[in-house]
Amino acid sequence: MSIEYAPTICPYCSCGCGIYLVVEDGKIIGQEPWKEHPINEGANCPKGKNAYAFLYSKDRLKNPLIKKNGTFRKASWDEALGLIVSKLKEATPETFGTLGSGKTSNEESYLLQKFVRVVMGTNTIEYVGRLCHSSAVAALLPAVGSGVMQTSQPEIELADCIFLAGVNIMETFPMIARRIFRAKAKGAKVIYSDPRKTATARYLADIHLPLKAGTDVALVNAMMSIILAEGLEDKEFITSRTADFEQVRDFLCQVDLKQAEAITGVSLEKIREAAITFAKAERSCILYDQGICQHTVGADNVKVHADLALLTGNIGKPGTGVNSMRGQISGEGTGDMGCLAVFYPGFKRVGEEAAKFFEDAWGVSNLPTKPGLTYIDMLYKCSHLYIVGTDPMMAVPDVNNLRKALKKANFIVVQDIFLTEIGKLAHVVLPAATWVEREGTHTYVDRRVQKIEKVIEPPGEAKPDWWIVCQLAERMGYKDKFNFSSAGEIFEEIRRCVPQYKGITYERLKRTPGGIHWPCPSENHPGTPTMFLEKFNTADGLGHFQVVGFKPPDEIPEDEYPYVLTTGRSIFHYHTGTMTLRTPKLVDEVSHGFVEVNPEDATKVGVKNKDMVTLETRRGSIEAEVKVTDQVPPGLLFIPFHFPDSCANVLTNPALDPSCKCAETKVCAVKMEVKK
Amino acid sequence: MKGDVYIASSTDKEVLEKAECGGVVTSLLKFALESKRADAVLAVKARDGNRYDGTPVLISQPDKVIETAGTLHCTSPNIARYVKEYTDGASDLKIAVVVKPCDAKAIIELAKRTQVKMDNLILIGLNCTGTLPSVKAKKMMKEVFGIDPTDVVAEDIDDDRLVITLADGTQKEKTLMELEEQEYGRRENCRRCETNIPTMADIACGKWGTSDKGTTFVEACTEKGANFIDAAISAGCISIRQPNPEAVQLRRKKDDAAIQSAKQWQERDFSSLKQMSSDERFEYWFGQFERCIKCYGCRDACPICYCKDCNLEADRGLVPPGEVPPDIMFPMVRITHVMDSCVNCGQCQDVCAMELPLSRLIFMLNRDLYDIFKYEPGVDIGQLPPLRTVTEQELSLSGVDVAF
Repeated sequence: MSIEYAPTICPYCSCGCGIYLVVEDGKIIGQEPWKEHPINEGANCPKGKNAYAFLYSKDRLKNPLIKKNGTFRKASWDEALGLIVSKLKEATPETFGTLGSGKTSNEESYLLQKFVRVVMGTNTIEYVGRLCHSSAVAALLPAVGSGVMQTSQPEIELADCIFLAGVNIMETFPMIARRIFRAKAKGAKVIYSDPRKTATARYLADIHLPLKAGTDVALVNAMMSIILAEGLEDKEFITSRTADFEQVRDFLCQVDLKQAEAITGVSLEKIREAAITFAKAERSCILYDQGICQHTVGADNVKVHADLALLTGNIGKPGTGVNSMRGQISGEGTGDMGCLAVFYPGFKRVGEEAAKFFEDAWGVSNLPTKPGLTYIDMLYKCSHLYIVGTDPMMAVPDVNNLRKALKKANFIVVQDIFLTEIGKLAHVVLPAATWVEREGTHTYVDRRVQKIEKVIEPPGEAKPDWWIVCQLAERMGYKDKFNFSSAGEIFEEIRRCVPQYKGITYERLKRTPGGIHWPCPSENHPGTPTMFLEKFNTADGLGHFQVVGFKPPDEIPEDEYPYVLTTGRSIFHYHTGTMTLRTPKLVDEVSHGFVEVNPEDATKVGVKNKDMVTLETRRGSIEAEVKVTDQVPPGLLFIPFHFPDSCANVLTNPALDPSCKCAETKVCAVKMEVKK
Repeated sequence: MKGDVYIASSTDKEVLEKAECGGVVTSLLKFALESKRADAVLAVKARDGNRYDGTPVLISQPDKVIETAGTLHCTSPNIARYVKEYTDGASDLKIAVVVKPCDAKAIIELAKRTQVKMDNLILIGLNCTGTLPSVKAKKMMKEVFGIDPTDVVAEDIDDDRLVITLADGTQKEKTLMELEEQEYGRRENCRRCETNIPTMADIACGKWGTSDKGTTFVEACTEKGANFIDAAISAGCISIRQPNPEAVQLRRKKDDAAIQSAKQWQERDFSSLKQMSSDERFEYWFGQFERCIKCYGCRDACPICYCKDCNLEADRGLVPPGEVPPDIMFPMVRITHVMDSCVNCGQCQDVCAMELPLSRLIFMLNRDLYDIFKYEPGVDIGQLPPLRTVTEQELSLSGVDVAF
């Protein structure tokens, strides 16, 4: 009998918590707390406690599949790769699009974008960061020069005030909520803006601002206007470290607070209390995520929060900042590796200069210099799609329309661990190894690079994503540029091309529980937990204020669609449900989709708990089970987006934020009727 | 025979070099395998040489035992759970297990519940005055001791002091009180623990009562333990001499002092809770449980929880599924099911995602129950827990006042 405790990192959100997998003769038989890990110290959330069950789900993909007359048949790797190569040779840089994954390793994401750029000659490679984080990048690049999380997770405990901008953190990042409770125990105050009275509102927040969905700009402008009126701005910080303050000051002086109260639905008294609490704290820290990002004004929402941090000097020191909560294990890393239509690896903006740099680095010529198509555009416009470890048929708004478009595509390859909703539409499906079935690094929310060791063999014929990409490249005639025999060799190339990762080595990661924060410029550099200590990453090194006025959501309720619909997550499930819906303990908690309805609205419509209703928007309709709760105010409905049987994104609005192409999945107008 | 005490040391040169205090435990483990008295040894090993990260290892080759030599203080692996979950309760494997007092107690509680086959185990106990939480311990090394945590080669807790030895031989020390006032030092449950010498194990080993570094004070606590030691002596694995009365007395004195300190911590930790009015208690504890995110960490870490089909599972219907925080029945059932037998190992609180003071609550209730039933968990395998033995008559007694 051989039993080993193998340390690894949880495969769910981006906190990057440690766990021990208990491995007996090549099979995982249990998991145990890893108490030395600095992020979670042995504790885990419900998902983290059920980290590995999905690996052994009976319906794991074990062989390549080729669709013939509408049904899949098993195929050999040779046959499947041969077919893909013949189809890829038909594609042009304009017709070929690729989606990477926030769940693959940095090495795999890096290799995938290299394939797309070198072999296919296009920058049309994206990942789901476009649908949740692009607003942050669009807002923060001009503001501070980078869209990343600015402080480290442990440093959040140093804050005296934590502003949760639309993050239901007790359910979505419980191990960060734990740090906020620690800060509270030392006297910190928690402000929380969210239309819903979630567990976070009830048990963590001191000041809950239940704003109307999509009115964050009005709320934060009002807060800043109050701070200025009270003279609570950080004058020294504004003078020494920022620019463009005057425009913002002039604009904020004009803000009509009564109007802000009417727009947001939050009493002026509460807005004032939040503003003063935030401004008076020694260290205030803003944490935000999709709650403010997934709007047609997502970038504007992030801009005003950045303004608030700059105005009060709460940025560029530990335990402060405007911090984006990334949803996926390598949500940060996949962006770092350049799986974005506008960035080469290391956030080198697509253009002549970046192309030249990578032509030299990779020993190739004619790399694409024009931005590729963004996520949703690509899905509608490309005839040849390569989709790796992501399910747009669950994640993209207006999926009925997307299905119609994808049915017209000439050729779709899906590389994943299960036959997902998008997989069902594919022509070829490739079985991938995942998580502890291969080695590699991920970059977690606070730029924390951690190493995953291979613990078990992948099932059947499943192969690591990097192996698959190398095979495709070889068959496309690029063997010399993709001549890798391990993830470690790919990581060495990343270190040469991506300056932020230069000082990070596998050897260092192995002996550093909790990993290393990039930027890490050299092998003796400890890594960088806090960004912008000395200056910002902007051209002049200053933080830039940006004036933003309130704009209403794209779609607002009216007679036919009288309710506002918003979407989000449950603590027991993860994103598109691919993994958690195959985890029996989590399915026992919540097995299917539901819609939260205020008791008043339930009475109006004539439904009670567990009744089925039909929800309809201009784009489509779904059925969902009613959950009557005062967690939502009258007029607002909430659906978690994890469940294919009540797919929230059939309903959501594909309207985009023009500045970043992030869709407005957080607000649309909906009708609710008793299911006929 | 049972009750015999020795001053002992290993006769194995390699063991003597690596182990602390004479290498008796390492040599006994080797002997267990070599003599086929055990099929395997369960001990704790510093993973990749990291003193702050000990994992349980099951070893069947005698020459591998040396990898577990030496004492680790900044780690708290769940040994009883390992025996229960990963060796099927030692159902068909004879195992020599190295245990701290709480590990030994938990294993005995499991045996009472027929989850562990005691006949297949030999428990080799280590004296213990507490372990330190690893992440905080590393922070303490940096911030209080001003040293790089990886430079530490040994820790020792004695006479209410934590002594750190560095690679270059220098030593640094602080009183536990000083450290614990700053929220460093030992795990909270350890501070309250009155059991320092694991006399419920088969053999109890420790340095109390020894005057020189190269020896261990050994007590045969059961007949099984006594036979095992006799055999090890006959085989020449350990050499022994009789401790003088001063040594025996010194050991008792150190134990008494540690017990007094634990009682003070109990008083300090429990009194504020007990002084609350019943309304305040409800408000305080319900306020705590509101943070629960239903991770089941406490249940899974509890070494004496064992039901395969737990009442609290989401599909059982007792607690409505899918809610955070869960219905108050969730923590209530958790607590009432184990409070009569809590061994104060602290594992539940270690892993609580929301850092609820679970071990503080459950052990406090356990002490109250002790006053009523005189049931001391984990000591006598023949004494069954009150929840098993309670009579109808006892249940109807009035005036039973369990602080909650």
